[in-house]
Amino acid sequence: MLVETAGLTKVFGEVRAVDDLTVKIPDGAIGLVGPNGAGKTTFLRLLLSLVRPTAGTAKVLGRDIEDGVPVRERIGYMPEHDCLIPDMTGVGLVSYMARISGLDRDTAMSRSHDVLQFVGVDEERYRKVAEYSTGMKQKIKLAQAMVHDPQLYVFDEPTTGLDPRGREEMLDLVGTIAKSPGRNVILSSHLLPDVETICKYVVILDGGHQIAAGELSQLLTGATDRLRIDVRGDRDAFVRLLKDAGFDADAGPSGLHVSRKPGLEAAVFETAKSLGAEVRYMGKEIRSLEELFLELVARTEKRGA
Amino acid sequence: MSISLPTYSRLEIPLLGRRERVWAIIATGLRREFRRPAAIVVIAIGVAFTTITSIVLVLFASFLLPGQPLNLSFFALPASNGFVLFFVSLMAAIIGSGLIADDLHSMAFTLYLSRPITHLDYLLAKAVILAPLVSMITVLPLVITALVAAFLFPLVFSWGVALQAIGLSVAVGLLLALFNTSVALFLSSLTRRKGLAAAGMFGGNFGLFIPASILASAIGNPNLLYLSPWNDYLAVASAAFGAPGIGIDWPGALAILLGVTVLAALVTYLRMKSVEVITG
Repeated sequence: MLVETAGLTKVFGEVRAVDDLTVKIPDGAIGLVGPNGAGKTTFLRLLLSLVRPTAGTAKVLGRDIEDGVPVRERIGYMPEHDCLIPDMTGVGLVSYMARISGLDRDTAMSRSHDVLQFVGVDEERYRKVAEYSTGMKQKIKLAQAMVHDPQLYVFDEPTTGLDPRGREEMLDLVGTIAKSPGRNVILSSHLLPDVETICKYVVILDGGHQIAAGELSQLLTGATDRLRIDVRGDRDAFVRLLKDAGFDADAGPSGLHVSRKPGLEAAVFETAKSLGAEVRYMGKEIRSLEELFLELVARTEKRGA
Repeated sequence: MSISLPTYSRLEIPLLGRRERVWAIIATGLRREFRRPAAIVVIAIGVAFTTITSIVLVLFASFLLPGQPLNLSFFALPASNGFVLFFVSLMAAIIGSGLIADDLHSMAFTLYLSRPITHLDYLLAKAVILAPLVSMITVLPLVITALVAAFLFPLVFSWGVALQAIGLSVAVGLLLALFNTSVALFLSSLTRRKGLAAAGMFGGNFGLFIPASILASAIGNPNLLYLSPWNDYLAVASAAFGAPGIGIDWPGALAILLGVTVLAALVTYLRMKSVEVITG
C-alpha cells in the first residue's frame, strides 16, 4: 500500500480539516480531488509530517508518518503555494534542496542540471528565482521535488496559475513521472480533467471526509444496473412521470439515473413524447470525473441537510 | 549546454546522513551571507572598528589610561569596548533577524521541512550560520588585540599573559555570541518581517542597557544592572580578566546570560515546532 490511514484527524481550532479519515491507497498514480477546503492539502501535509495529526495514524510506503525523516527521504513534495527562496538561482536552489535531501555536492549539481533539463528550464536556470514567471516557478518546484529521485511524488495543485500551454507541459511532465516504473504519484487538484489525465485511482474528499475512492474507470462506469439519461426539457417532470410509471429514478447534475427494469426504454420515450422533451443520451452510466464529483458532493450535501 | 538527455533518469546512489544535510544548510547559508553587501559591510566595518579601537587602547594605554595596570586585567578593557555592543547588535539585526523570518515570509520553511531533516536540524543550522559571524565581533578583535600586545610589547605583556587573555577572550566572547545568536533567532522566529526582529534586537540590547544604567546610578541600586545583558556581560568579563567589577556579582550575571540563552533557544524550538500551518 502506498498510503494507509486509520481514523486520521486534524483539527485546527473548530475546523476539522481532516475528519476520521480511513483510506487504503494502492501504489501507482493517485488523484486526490475535492473542492477548496476539502482537506486535500492538510491530508498531504499530514503524510509529510509537516503537521501533526490530532488523532489517528497513517503509514506512507509502509512507514509510520511519526518516523518523519525516513518517510520524507522517499517523498518529493511540490507545494501549491510559492515557497521558493527568491535570491537563489534556479539551479542553486534545486542543488541546495538536493544536498539537504542527502546528495553529495557533485551529484547534487549534476542531478539538478538533469532535472532542470527534464522540466524544460534552460539558460534561465542561472537567473534568480525572484525573476521567474509563474510557469517557471512551477517547474523549479517540480525539479526540486524530483531531484533526489523519491519513490513517492506529492503534487499539490501543480497546474495552479499556469496558462493552457504551461498546464499541458506540466501535465506531460507529471504524466511521464507517473509512468516511470517504481514511482508513485499523488496528485491533488480541484481541476478534475488534470486528475483524469494522469491518474488511475482517485480518492474524493469533501469536508475532510472521504466520499469515494476507487479505480477511476470503475467509478466513472458506475452501477451496471442503472442507466443514465440526458434529457433536454423539464427534467423534474420527467423524473416524476418515470416514478409514476414505477421506475426508480432521480435527477443528478450529470443527468437522470434510472434503475434498469423491463419496459424502461418504452417508458422513457413515452414520457419524452408526452412532455415534448428530447432524449439526447440513454445508456451506461459513463460519467466524467467532474460529473461524478458533482453528483457525490450533491449527495453528501443532501445527506448533511 | 547540458549533455544530459531530457529524460527522467534514476538516481542510483544512497543518500548521505543528516549531518551532511545540516552542513549543506550551514555552508550555503554562510555563502549567501558573504554575498550580501549589507552583511559584508557590517562584518568588515564591525571587525575593523572593534579591532582598531582595541589595538589603539594597547598602543596608547599609558597615555589614555594612566594608572591602568598592564597585566591580564588590562584585557577587560577591549572586551568591554562599546563598539562590540553596537556591532554585535547590528550583526544580529542585519544577519540574524532574517534567518528564520525570511523563510517564514517566503514560505521556504515548508520546503525545508519537506526534506528529510527535523526542526532541530533546521534551527541548529541557522544558529551555526549566525554564531561564527557574531563571534567575528565578540571574539576575533579580542584575540587579535592580545596577539598584537604580545608582539609589540613582549616585556609588558608576556606570552603567558597573552595566551591567558586569548583563552578568556574566547570564553567570554563566545558567551556573548551565543546569547546574541539565541536571542536573534528567537526574535526572527516570531515574525515574518525581519525589520521587526532587527528592531527587537536593538531594543533588547540598548533599550535595556541605557535605562538600566541611568536608573541604577540615579537611585543607587546596582541590582538594576542585572536587567541589561550588556552589563551582565561586562560583569562576567571583568571578573574573568580580574578587573574591578561594575557593581553586580558575576555569578548572577552569568546565570542570567546563560539562562536567557537557553530559554530563548528552547522557546524558539517550541515556536518553530508549532509553526505547522503555512497558508497554501
